[in-house]
Amino acid sequence: MTVVEAQNLVKDYSTNGLTVPALRGISLSFERGEFAAIVGPSGSGKSTFLHLVGCLDVLTSGEIRIEGTDISTLSQKELAFLRRQKIGFIFQAYNLIPVLTALENVSFPLTLLGVDRKEAKRMAEVALATVGLEGMGNRKPKEMSGGQQQRVAIARALVKQPSLVLADEPTANLDSKTGSEILELMLSLNRTHGTTFLFSTHDKMVMEYARRLVYLRDGIVEGEERR
Amino acid sequence: MRRKGSGIHKNVDNPPSLGYREILIVAFRNLSRHRVKTVTTTLGVAVSVALYIFMDAWLLGMNLDSKRNIVSYEIGAAKIQTQAYFEKKDDLPMYESFTDWKPLVEVLEKAGYAAAPRMVFTGTLYARSGSAPIVFHGVDPEKESRVLRYRNYMEVGRFPDKGTYEIALGLLAAEKLKLDIPRRITEEELLRLIEDTARTPEEGAFIRRLYENSDNRQKDLTRDRAPLSQEKLSYFLRKDLPRSDLDRYWELLLSSGRNDVRISTVIDIKEETGKIRHVYQVMEAKVVGIVNSPNPKTNGNVAFMPLDVLSGEEGLLLEDRVTEILVRAAGAKDSDLPGPEETPEAIEGVLNRAGVPLPSPLRVYGWQEYVKDYIVAARGDNITTRVMILLLFILSFLGIANTMLMAILERTKEIGMMRALGMTDGELILSFMIEAGMIGLMGGVAGMILGSLANIPMVNHGIDYSTMARELSGDFGYRITALFRSAWNPGTIIGSGIVATLVSALLSIPPTLRALRIPVTESLRFE
Ligand SMILES: Nc1ncnc2c1ncn2[C@@H]1O[C@H](COP(=O)(O)OP(=O)(O)OP(=O)(O)O)[C@@H](O)[C@H]1O
Ligand SMILES: [Mg+2]
Repeated sequence: MTVVEAQNLVKDYSTNGLTVPALRGISLSFERGEFAAIVGPSGSGKSTFLHLVGCLDVLTSGEIRIEGTDISTLSQKELAFLRRQKIGFIFQAYNLIPVLTALENVSFPLTLLGVDRKEAKRMAEVALATVGLEGMGNRKPKEMSGGQQQRVAIARALVKQPSLVLADEPTANLDSKTGSEILELMLSLNRTHGTTFLFSTHDKMVMEYARRLVYLRDGIVEGEERR
Repeated sequence: MRRKGSGIHKNVDNPPSLGYREILIVAFRNLSRHRVKTVTTTLGVAVSVALYIFMDAWLLGMNLDSKRNIVSYEIGAAKIQTQAYFEKKDDLPMYESFTDWKPLVEVLEKAGYAAAPRMVFTGTLYARSGSAPIVFHGVDPEKESRVLRYRNYMEVGRFPDKGTYEIALGLLAAEKLKLDIPRRITEEELLRLIEDTARTPEEGAFIRRLYENSDNRQKDLTRDRAPLSQEKLSYFLRKDLPRSDLDRYWELLLSSGRNDVRISTVIDIKEETGKIRHVYQVMEAKVVGIVNSPNPKTNGNVAFMPLDVLSGEEGLLLEDRVTEILVRAAGAKDSDLPGPEETPEAIEGVLNRAGVPLPSPLRVYGWQEYVKDYIVAARGDNITTRVMILLLFILSFLGIANTMLMAILERTKEIGMMRALGMTDGELILSFMIEAGMIGLMGGVAGMILGSLANIPMVNHGIDYSTMARELSGDFGYRITALFRSAWNPGTIIGSGIVATLVSALLSIPPTLRALRIPVTESLRFE
């Protein structure tokens, strides 16, 4: 099943009357269960691509379908609901809610989905255990290391069993050892749950984990590699 | 990780509902992020809410109090007057009087009312030290005291007896005419006073003992009115004198003839033909008491004297004329405003049922008719005070607005993340409204408690204004002189808490909308 289908994606940014082309016609599709990396030099359009696929930004032209739904037909509110149900995000800067504990951060997406509180708590505990943070549920983000925070973020992205997890440079803030641990974790989750992962990186070591590599340069696909 | 059946993968166009409990938790935790700021903002709200509650109770108390005062000391529940008199009442048109009042009073008294006939006229009071224009009230002392309460507030002396040419005079007039007990005199004056008043050396010594030298009183000088030069401030009436001493002194003053006065007036009587006849009249009388009630109107240039002697040949030849009958339910409590059985309609009904309907020129007028101007003025006063407090409210709300603005600005990145997680704009607006509303609610509740606590002594004990009132010559517009008390107003107390909560919540909307205008991708990059 095709999770993401992007056709002829074009994205221009205009700043001070100047038009900056960020994506200049990209066509890619990702199947269920893929573990794919978008790689390329700085400014090549990796983040822009992930934002568009994550329905966080508006296309200049082209078409994106998420599990068959053309997202251009959806309202702001419907896009929010689509993100809420189908897409998990992992950010470079972790972006946890600082006032909530690890457990509460993980259960937050479930409460957005209206999952019963006890059930949400139980599911969040399972998710935390899966990312290796059993017993750390009561800690606040600032009481945890970067790697631990990113694990919480992964648990938060995965707890609702999304169709797609998008991660923009998830290891950029971490040392290489912790970075590989995070990638190992993501990979094992991809294997055990069949979750589709789409992440960007310009770290050679991280690329090693990907089973599909998409090379971007200046807003176009320069090449692909499958392993 | 097992998914919980239907809970998760719903259709996009079938939006799931948000757990409001979590939003509440987030809002509450966010409040504790910047404790100091939250506390100061909350305190600001609390202070304005408390002040509002306090001031409102004050104004309400003032209003109720002055209305009670007007009813208890000036008017009663209603007046029976001729329509012509009522229409010209500010001119005190005594020629619009009426004679056939006795059956009316009788019927009303039988039906459980107190009714007091009065003849109001103007004239000049001549005393040894000068003269003053006075509004005279010819009253039936017993009936009068069943309707009004000023008789219980004799500064000194007593109320006139029926059938005598005696006068009770308002305190201000008495002071002006030097008819009250001298409270501050020079040595020379004291000696003359003793000479004029004391019939025996013992009486002279008694009077001397009532005064003390100014040397002992330096500290207290500020308490007295008109500043006199130091040499003249020689003797003061002692403050702590027992009532019996004052009474004896007063009797001595009366028997010295010092309080003998002359009343000069022009009596206007309307003939059958409608022509007004003016009769110049002069009458000897004695000031036997001084009125100083909680209502300044009874303490000014007014005098009360028995109605019966005015009617007779020695008096004003009034032939049983009165200008008004005051009506109140017999035994009505001073603390209550007139009730439904005291309305003009109810009173007219009683007269009609008894077969003594009001003769055509007479009407019953409710007490409110006489205080219309006053009530309007009091309302105006309320409005200015309320506007001032409103400004205070606005200030404290600006505090909330600022706190929320900072909080939202600071959380731009968080907002971006929450939107990425799928929170809708509406949910974000709501969560910030709840957060700001909590500040308003906490401040509101604290303010309600503070304001109510401050009200407790004000309602139960009040403030004694009597000295201040006298120094301001009695009339502040508000009819309060003796004791002022606030009154509970549950509507305001609850209402101000609710308003504080709602307004605070609403104030978070503009900054939230501003934050939501930033694209998600931008706010995610925000540092
Ligand atoms: N908000 C924006 N306004 C204007 N130009 C933008 C904006 N965001 C991105 N761009 C431009 O679009 C192009 C692609 O940027 P993008 O952030 O997608 O690159 P990237 O591959 O993620 O780079 P990096 O590895 O540095 O994160 C760049 O030229 C960038 O300057
Ligand atoms: Mg990037």
